[in-house]
Amino acid sequence: MEILERLVQAVQDGEAEEAVALAQEAMAAKMEPLAVVDALTEGIREVGDRFERMEIFLPEMMLAAQAMQKTLELLSPYLEGQKERREEKGTVVIGTVEGDIHEIGKNIVALLLEVNGFTVYDLGPDVNALDFIKRAQEVKADIIGASALMTTTMPGQGEIIELLRDMGLRDHFHVTVGGTPVTQEWAEEIGADSWAENATKAVAILERAMKERRGHARATL
Amino acid sequence: MPAPPYKMWEILERARTGPFCEDEPFIMERFMPQLKAVIRKYGIEYDPATPVPSDDHLADALWRAGLEFFLEVGVLCVDTHRIITFEEGEVKEALYLVPGEYLVGSGKDARLLKHRPVEDTNPPFVIFSPDITCDEELFSPLSIAYLKEPLADGVCAPILEESMGLKIKAQTPTELAGSIEHAMSLRQAAKLVGRPGIFLVAAGTAESDIAQISISHSDWGVRTSDSRLVGALTELKIDNALLNKVAHYQQFGCFAGSLTGPIYGGYAGRAEGTAILQVAYHLMGLLVHQAHYQMNFPFHIHYTSNSSRELLWVISASHQAIARNSKLISFSNGFLNAGPATEMVLYEAAAHALASTVSGANLWEAAVAHNKYKNRATPLEARMAAEVGHACAHMNLTREGANELVQKIVAKYEERVADAPLGSLFSECYDVAKAVPRKEYLDLYARVKDDLIEMGLEFPY
Repeated sequence: MEILERLVQAVQDGEAEEAVALAQEAMAAKMEPLAVVDALTEGIREVGDRFERMEIFLPEMMLAAQAMQKTLELLSPYLEGQKERREEKGTVVIGTVEGDIHEIGKNIVALLLEVNGFTVYDLGPDVNALDFIKRAQEVKADIIGASALMTTTMPGQGEIIELLRDMGLRDHFHVTVGGTPVTQEWAEEIGADSWAENATKAVAILERAMKERRGHARATL
Repeated sequence: MPAPPYKMWEILERARTGPFCEDEPFIMERFMPQLKAVIRKYGIEYDPATPVPSDDHLADALWRAGLEFFLEVGVLCVDTHRIITFEEGEVKEALYLVPGEYLVGSGKDARLLKHRPVEDTNPPFVIFSPDITCDEELFSPLSIAYLKEPLADGVCAPILEESMGLKIKAQTPTELAGSIEHAMSLRQAAKLVGRPGIFLVAAGTAESDIAQISISHSDWGVRTSDSRLVGALTELKIDNALLNKVAHYQQFGCFAGSLTGPIYGGYAGRAEGTAILQVAYHLMGLLVHQAHYQMNFPFHIHYTSNSSRELLWVISASHQAIARNSKLISFSNGFLNAGPATEMVLYEAAAHALASTVSGANLWEAAVAHNKYKNRATPLEARMAAEVGHACAHMNLTREGANELVQKIVAKYEERVADAPLGSLFSECYDVAKAVPRKEYLDLYARVKDDLIEMGLEFPY
């Protein structure tokens, strides 16, 4: 089996040590770092798809993500100078809204976004609406992701959008909402930009949104 | 025998003084590896051919695995980053002190809530609960409809999203208002239907600790003969707000229920891990929640339901483990895929009730339509579960017999779990003013019941 194939397999299997060793081997063999990252990204996307089909479970996906992160850390110095050639997916500030302590759904989305190349700032649970915005401004985020698991905390998602409007910042961020009781109808009612019914779809929707956003930005320049 | 609390202040103090641990290492380095280790050590294995297993060795191995896992992992307080840990002797002492029964509710409506053994011939205690949110104007009719159900031993009302037309937001004055409206309206509804002392679990609208504390009142609010719930964070975690509820329930003097829902496909992984976590959550409920009973709803991470084959196994196996090795009182909460007025939801309710009742659980029925849609639940789904639960006890059904029936019932819907029909709204299925079901749904109900009789189920009436 080729080094790259074995590396992708090791990451998918969550074998971090083996993956790091294979990545070192790949770099020693002067393989193109960007090609390695692209193969790993494709591999981890497959892990997400398998999780969605319940062929694997969250522990396996988390171990794969951990292996991916450790491998990317090793590859990072080799990517210096090539970053402009690598597609920047976007920066996301994510959290569960104020008064809501549920995290698992948000954590899965954050994990999948991160391993798919987004830069993710996870603010954790029980996050005040203004704190989402302040952090998004601070890190120059493209996307604000707000999760709510309770019907009585869902208004917190709407508050973020209301505050953005009142602060004159609505167009600065793509706001995506999710969580078990959250529906497309609710997302439309509060004026969110997107909603996804699960983590894999969230990644695809936000990738598309970022492409459109960039296209729009270029068109208006 | 005394009821909880058991060493409450000594245990709660551990949330401040226990070993330091952050969230991620708690799951990645403690929870997941320990769970994997006990699955292997005790040889726990899910068998899709037996959603209702009859293997006592499996049940006892699950109990030992759950106990060992709980002792090794403990419960993380995410506010203090400290792990609440236990000695085995403490767990055994607390289990020894469990009385196994409580008189709940009051006056003529009081009922005995009891621990049930596996294959118990006494019917389950059934709490009727829509488990969903509703429009403000539907709160009373929905509550009355559930309270009217003859087999309801207790009732838990729907959750309000608005109060006085204002959107309720947790931890704000609107939540306090909504919680008071919930408690008062439910109390009034119980009185109107002639069951003023029925065991009420309230108030689901009160998500926060302050809202729960605001409705403790022996006249208009939650009484000491009633109950309320305290939850956990995913998985085996808690925070100070939840601990506030724990302390308040004991000090106020009402019955406390431990509300936990291990996620199949989540950190616990497959059916084996989810079942072990169920056992551990029962111990957490006794020792951290200081609960008089456990109310649990293991659910599928994608579908938010527990009527599929693997989840029925989790429910059955874990309840057998608990029933055989403790006197804990446990409720099995049905989470169904389809919505009201569909054949599928009634079959799902029947399968959930059978797997739970024969395994030693009481029933809490039912969250329907993936527990996601407002106004989309009716008492008839709960009635089907209750009738099937009573039938199971009435006909002295064995686990083998229940397994055969569950196999037949599950075959009716398991292909449609992912795209289950959403069904109808309460207002479409019921005459709202009278709070009674419409003929169409009653006819459908009768057809499904006839089919269950055809399959071999013997209803008491």
